[in-house]
Amino acid sequence: MSLPPGKLEVLWSRLVAAADEQAAALIRTSFTPIVRDSGDLSAAIFDDRGWMVAQAVTGTPGHINSLAASMRHFLDRFPQPAPDDVLITNEPWLSSGQLNDFTIVTPVFAGTRLLGYVGSTCHAIDIGGRGLSADASEVYEEGLRVLPTRLYTADGPNQQLLDLIEANVRMPRLVLGDLHAQVVGNQVGARAVQALVEEFELPDLRELADQVVERSEEAMRAAIDALPDGSYHSEVTTDGIGEEPVHVRCEIRVEGSHLTVDYAGSSAQSDRGINVVLNYTAAYTTYGLKCALAPHVPHNEGTFRPLTVTAPEGSIVNARFPAAVAARHVVGQFLPFAVMEALAPVAPHARMAQGSGNVWLTTIRGTRQEADPDDGEAEFVTVFFASGGTGARPSRDGLSSTSFPSGIATTPVEVIEATSPVVVEEKSLRAGSGGDGERRGGLGQRIRVSVRTDEPWRISCLADRLHHPAPGLDGGGAGAPGGFHLSDGRVADPKLTTTVAADGSVTLDLPGGGGIGDPADRDPDLRRRDELDGFA
Amino acid sequence: MTSWRIAGDIGGTFTDLVLSDPDGRCQAVAKVLTTPQQPSEGLITGIEQLLESSGIDRDAVEHVLHGTTLITNALIERRGARTALVTTRGFRDVLHIGRELRYDLYDLDIVMPEPLVPRRWCFEVEARVLADGTVREPLLDEEIDRLVDALTADGIESVGICLLHGYRWQDHEHSLAARLQARAPELDITTSAQVLPQIGEFDRASTTVANAYVRPILRRYLDQLSTALATLTPNADLQLVLSTGRVAPAAVASEVPIRLVESGPAGGVLAGQATAAAVGGRHALTFDMGGTTAKACYVVDHEPRLTDRFEVARVRRFARGSGLPIQVPTVELIEIGAGGGSIAAVDELRLLRVGPRSAGSDPGPACYGRGGDQPTVTDADLVLGHLAADRFLGGELVLDTDRARAALAALPTGDGTPETAAAAVRRVVDEQMAAAARMHAVEQGLDPTRFTLVATGGAGPVHACSIARILGIPRVLSPGRAGVASAHGFLGAPAGFDVARSAPTPLTELTVDAVTALLDELEEEARSRVGASSGGRRVVEAELRFRGQGGTVTVAVPDEVHHDPASALSEALEAEYRRLYGRVPVGVTPEVLTWRLSYLDTPPPNLPMRGLSGSHRSERPAWFEEADGFVPTPVVPRQDAEGDGPMIIEERETTFVVPPGARVKRHAGEVLEVLL
Repeated sequence: MSLPPGKLEVLWSRLVAAADEQAAALIRTSFTPIVRDSGDLSAAIFDDRGWMVAQAVTGTPGHINSLAASMRHFLDRFPQPAPDDVLITNEPWLSSGQLNDFTIVTPVFAGTRLLGYVGSTCHAIDIGGRGLSADASEVYEEGLRVLPTRLYTADGPNQQLLDLIEANVRMPRLVLGDLHAQVVGNQVGARAVQALVEEFELPDLRELADQVVERSEEAMRAAIDALPDGSYHSEVTTDGIGEEPVHVRCEIRVEGSHLTVDYAGSSAQSDRGINVVLNYTAAYTTYGLKCALAPHVPHNEGTFRPLTVTAPEGSIVNARFPAAVAARHVVGQFLPFAVMEALAPVAPHARMAQGSGNVWLTTIRGTRQEADPDDGEAEFVTVFFASGGTGARPSRDGLSSTSFPSGIATTPVEVIEATSPVVVEEKSLRAGSGGDGERRGGLGQRIRVSVRTDEPWRISCLADRLHHPAPGLDGGGAGAPGGFHLSDGRVADPKLTTTVAADGSVTLDLPGGGGIGDPADRDPDLRRRDELDGFA
Repeated sequence: MTSWRIAGDIGGTFTDLVLSDPDGRCQAVAKVLTTPQQPSEGLITGIEQLLESSGIDRDAVEHVLHGTTLITNALIERRGARTALVTTRGFRDVLHIGRELRYDLYDLDIVMPEPLVPRRWCFEVEARVLADGTVREPLLDEEIDRLVDALTADGIESVGICLLHGYRWQDHEHSLAARLQARAPELDITTSAQVLPQIGEFDRASTTVANAYVRPILRRYLDQLSTALATLTPNADLQLVLSTGRVAPAAVASEVPIRLVESGPAGGVLAGQATAAAVGGRHALTFDMGGTTAKACYVVDHEPRLTDRFEVARVRRFARGSGLPIQVPTVELIEIGAGGGSIAAVDELRLLRVGPRSAGSDPGPACYGRGGDQPTVTDADLVLGHLAADRFLGGELVLDTDRARAALAALPTGDGTPETAAAAVRRVVDEQMAAAARMHAVEQGLDPTRFTLVATGGAGPVHACSIARILGIPRVLSPGRAGVASAHGFLGAPAGFDVARSAPTPLTELTVDAVTALLDELEEEARSRVGASSGGRRVVEAELRFRGQGGTVTVAVPDEVHHDPASALSEALEAEYRRLYGRVPVGVTPEVLTWRLSYLDTPPPNLPMRGLSGSHRSERPAWFEEADGFVPTPVVPRQDAEGDGPMIIEERETTFVVPPGARVKRHAGEVLEVLL
């Protein structure tokens, strides 16, 4: 495609805008805080070959290339989509690695001419099964599994599928409402693609896609090429389940402009739901690589081409069907640490101490004292996210209670309390929880919850670093470990569901980030400020 | 309103003033240097100049209204009062924990905004109310004692009180404020209920402490100013322009000064609105492009769009989420990091990018010849013939075309000629601005082609027609005297106040009596803040959603709400929802979340200002996308502009570029209208 200077920029920015518009519409029409406040979704535009050409920047790296990968599976099964088709799946191995993520794809037509596709992945608040915990030992227990199928056709919605979903999930109105929001968001994205093609008189997105992909691939290759060839290693250890920690071994091989990340030697897959499918492993690996090497190169087909991510089948980071996968992020979100640590000697930008790691996802289920006035339901489920401290950077302290590597916001306490009988008794920074160092780690936080109920209630928290705190770097101290404390003194694994007495409470202590450098080198002014403000 | 009025806009560098007669005709203009230490001094000097040059009797001035960047600057420069936060036990870290979210997913070295109140001054009280209003822990007297001791020991001047669920259950906040005030009369106290009665503790606390932080400063300033005005314009009442573009009495402004945070830009929007209205335009897209930033705002049915999502003091310019959240009603500005000084560069994707880095005014664009060697938008405009080298700022600054050409030729894009590079810069920056305006329109369900674009700012009229063409906007206006647009806009500001209340209720449970009572109460509250005569009108909007949704849809509340609120509102919701998103979900319960009421007086008359007359005429080649190259283009003064494009209207403060195929028409007051 020969374009006058400045024109490609115009077309490319329109593509990105289309994905942004799509994501904005999805967020606005979503029914659940997890989507609208926490941003657990992604949206992307594809050409008619299924190449991803633009992705909205949203809260979750976990969807970075898993959405792109799922597109191929849709194309395999539906090579000739029709106008008005809308396709759906939540199959973990074909999409983003857990049943709660629905991926919905809408083909975009101009008349009968296929222009491309728009797609989105979005976290459903429930998918049946055991709820979002590590409890299950096979994916069959984790809820409803929907293989790629049609959600809409020219005849309207696939009512049988909708009925099936409705019958198999808790809070079906919210789940179906969010599916609707995804369909609506896709429609907004599709309209933007149609307008672009019409205004610039393009036959489809193909030629534009070629340019986008070529330039992105080239930029990614240049970033890799700047690294010395060689093999770089790291290892990260997390709590895993019970007494069995998870080891992630990472080897990064740089060969010219190609980079391979190999997780050979990592722990075997678990018999609980903390297993990661390769798509999700690739997503968080790519995220770490991009932070370290090429933060400004956009996500698309081209960006992924110079990267290979491999892991032995049957390992914790490439689990075999039908492994349980619901809590996959407690392992997956540690992968960027492994990548950055391996590259630290050759990519100065990647130097950062490890932080608290995965975002803690807490699910509380129970019975209200009075049925909800609107829907008459007495049962409730509430889900909220919280984060510990991030690792120190060479020139700055870590960030306190801030989500990293995911980009998931917390839900306001007032909203949690207004929409459920959960009472948040405390939400405060944990003084002294940041690892000491020339730059200290970010602080973790303490959250104490109870429930206004007359019956026992259940809680699970996808927590980690209770036993393996974030290590420091270059002489910096480790961050404080996490904690999960029941008011009656029992000890429980937070990743598994625990029942709490009606009047009981649970305290979550989120871990701090690691420090960097010798604590003796810390600026005395910073120490004084930390003391005055009670951070240390 | 038939009286002599003075409007003043205290900006960063200049304080602009305009005097208008009872018919709304501008009779005098003054521009004086801003006096940052004592901002009232510059304003007073300007008023004296106005009185002198117009010769009117000081007793004849009945209103002095003004907007100021004082509040914004205090927040950006952290020059506010020693401020403390008081919140519920267990939540003193509400400001420091924030949203737990990074505004940039990929920047490992990211810096987050520092809260206005350091943690050492965040205090707690035991008082605790649950979401349904159940009081679990009462407010105890001994806590007040303890708190007063702590505040006094730290020399705190101002306190923000934000208790959990205080948006709805306000008794504890009121009681705490009253009891604190009784014990410490000199303390300045802001409650969250007073500033932002809306759910979400972080945003509310942030807004509350921001108000507390600036209030002592504004009070001191207004005291000084009132004293000076008492002798200077003894019959004038002092009014301030709010971020909504409405004016309120000084007493109201000093209670909630955070509502002034965008008063300057609001004036610019009002000026655009007035210009459009003068030629019969109901819907305007105001577009102000300066040296580093472009700002746009949609005006629908003569009313600027408002938002309550706003943030100040961003750590990273133009990065959403990198500032302190301030949730007060504000004209909804679309801000883009693109101005005359924005630097063009090629990135790692070999794509041309313009801004947000800016050469500012020092060293400035390459063509300023002050040592800048990076190509900017102004350099491109010069090379394309849109600007003249010898008549920039009325010829005060002679532009160096050779330097501009050299800087552009160094850009690795196109065929290496400065002209090709300049055209590319122009395409990219125009698209960037249009894209931001389009994205906004999509989010709000607006159709840009129904709007009139009104261009102001030094660079606005240079780029306005290109942007309008990209957006499909058929009409562009250029008012005279764009340099004092904000101050002039203030003159058209209606007295008014906006109030909101969260009261989540399913539509089916609304009763006629309850709705009427609530709206009357809100009207009373707003009306008392306006302090103006009767004869105003109220505008009511409701934020509706389907139960469980986070986002809301704002609809104008129809009169039928007083007969059958449920069906009136659900029809409005469905219609708006369908317009925005195409489909309406089924089997879901519609509810109202928040009622918003604006009480507005009739806007005073405000006629467009006459341009400064000039006489220069010439012709030069200018580049146009439409012509795919350079074409001979006549250069004319405003008073002679009429007929077919291409045409360049050159003035001291700006240059209006009209492309081929467009038609120029001159209106009374010398507003230029271009039909594309």
